[in-house]
Amino acid sequence: MAAPTRRTVLGLARCWRRFESPWSLGSRSLTLAAAPSNSASPWRLLGALCLQRPPLVSKQLTPMQEEMAALLQQMEIERSLYSDHELRALDEAEQLEKKKSDLYEEKDEKNILLVQDLEDMWEQKFLQFKPGARITDADVKNDRSSLHRKLDRNLILLVKDKLGDQDVWMLPQAEWQPGETLRQTAERTLATLSENNLEAKFLGNAPCGHYKFKFPQAVRAEGSLGAKIFFFKALLLTGDFSPAVEKGRHVWASKEELGDYLKPKYLAQVRRFLLDL
Amino acid sequence: SIQAGHERGGEESGAARGRRGYNAAADIRVLCLKNDTIFKQAFSLLRFRTSGENPVYSAGGILLTTSRHYRSKPTHGIGRYKHLVKPEEPKKKKGKVEIRAINVGTDYEYGTLNIHLIAYDMALTESYAQYVHNLCNHLSIKVEESYAMPTKTMEVLQLQDQGNKMLLDSVLTTHERVVQISGLNATFAEIFLEIIQSNLPEGVKLSVREHTEEDFKGRFKARPELEELLAKLN
Repeated sequence: MAAPTRRTVLGLARCWRRFESPWSLGSRSLTLAAAPSNSASPWRLLGALCLQRPPLVSKQLTPMQEEMAALLQQMEIERSLYSDHELRALDEAEQLEKKKSDLYEEKDEKNILLVQDLEDMWEQKFLQFKPGARITDADVKNDRSSLHRKLDRNLILLVKDKLGDQDVWMLPQAEWQPGETLRQTAERTLATLSENNLEAKFLGNAPCGHYKFKFPQAVRAEGSLGAKIFFFKALLLTGDFSPAVEKGRHVWASKEELGDYLKPKYLAQVRRFLLDL
Repeated sequence: SIQAGHERGGEESGAARGRRGYNAAADIRVLCLKNDTIFKQAFSLLRFRTSGENPVYSAGGILLTTSRHYRSKPTHGIGRYKHLVKPEEPKKKKGKVEIRAINVGTDYEYGTLNIHLIAYDMALTESYAQYVHNLCNHLSIKVEESYAMPTKTMEVLQLQDQGNKMLLDSVLTTHERVVQISGLNATFAEIFLEIIQSNLPEGVKLSVREHTEEDFKGRFKARPELEELLAKLN
């Protein structure tokens, strides 16, 4: 029992030692591409960015959820005790009754403002308040390049790029350059996309997914057999594409609409790391 | 008396079989529950008794009623259990709060993290804190502590329509719940944070920070007398 465990520990130690050299620069990031035999590898490395706009509005409740919420609310009201405001309202109702019955002695009015007046004021304010619309213009027009659509879903950025001689929809990506981490590649992609208009927050240093494909025979050179793409997730904080950017090159798609744009195998890998609640 | 009869039979058969010790035909011995040594001791005594009296059950037979689990016998140490029980930690005196070393964490694992959930609605904050705690349990993330920070009360005063007086409009209470976790993987932290963020209910603010000394000290009540004395010293 001792011998196999010792061997696995040694194996682990060897792996760690191999990974330690690129990190001697002092960066705290995990790079999967840091194998020392990189120069001989036929795979090209690309870092891609999965830019997500988090939902701005919560989802609408299903009919069952609404019924349940109403029931719980009713139960809570029935079980609750009177609040200060309600006690005041009851007191004042009693006083009014006494006044009407003419047995009432004139007392100094402590409050000029009765509970009834307060409630009227609040009612007025509530009627004046207009909540924002859930279904925006962009939804009605189905303008997919606008950021102001589908407020209760995650939206992902897709761009159209040239791959070989075809125009392909994909997540924005850039080629990895030696000396930088893959996450920095993704950040570079973000910067070049919008010329610094988009601000995003990366939650971690590790990629969330990968996709590997081989080039077709025509494009294959001696060095490159294919490419490996590593996806990094980022949450959009502020900013959007400026209207000067040509239309038709980018789209903000929700999870279901991804199928309209991406290729099946690519889509399958991308779907694996999309969290849609 | 049936037992006594069986016993005598067992002893004599044991004596007859010599020093072979226990073997399969031991139902008589099972009834007796006696060692070989006792047989050897009792053997000499029994030889002198012809009546039906059994010396083992007579009053005064203390030496013979003990069943010693001798060191060379298999039953040595049969009643030992203290070595199986974990040693109890020394009991802390009331009022003394241990300041544990704050785990800073390595490059691949976060140390102690505090997840703060802040909202105006207490039931909502508590229910979401419960959800986060259960989620951590389910994902095998160690939850060190789950506590509440003191409630902050805010009075909202609005300017009256007529006149300069400020009228009390409402009282808002801010509730904060903290879930303290440790040992979060760097690779998993991203997914975990995304889950918590996307499940946030309306009105709850989320803040995830590393645990520091100030966070720990902030939970204690301010002691004005102590501060006065310290100021006097300095």
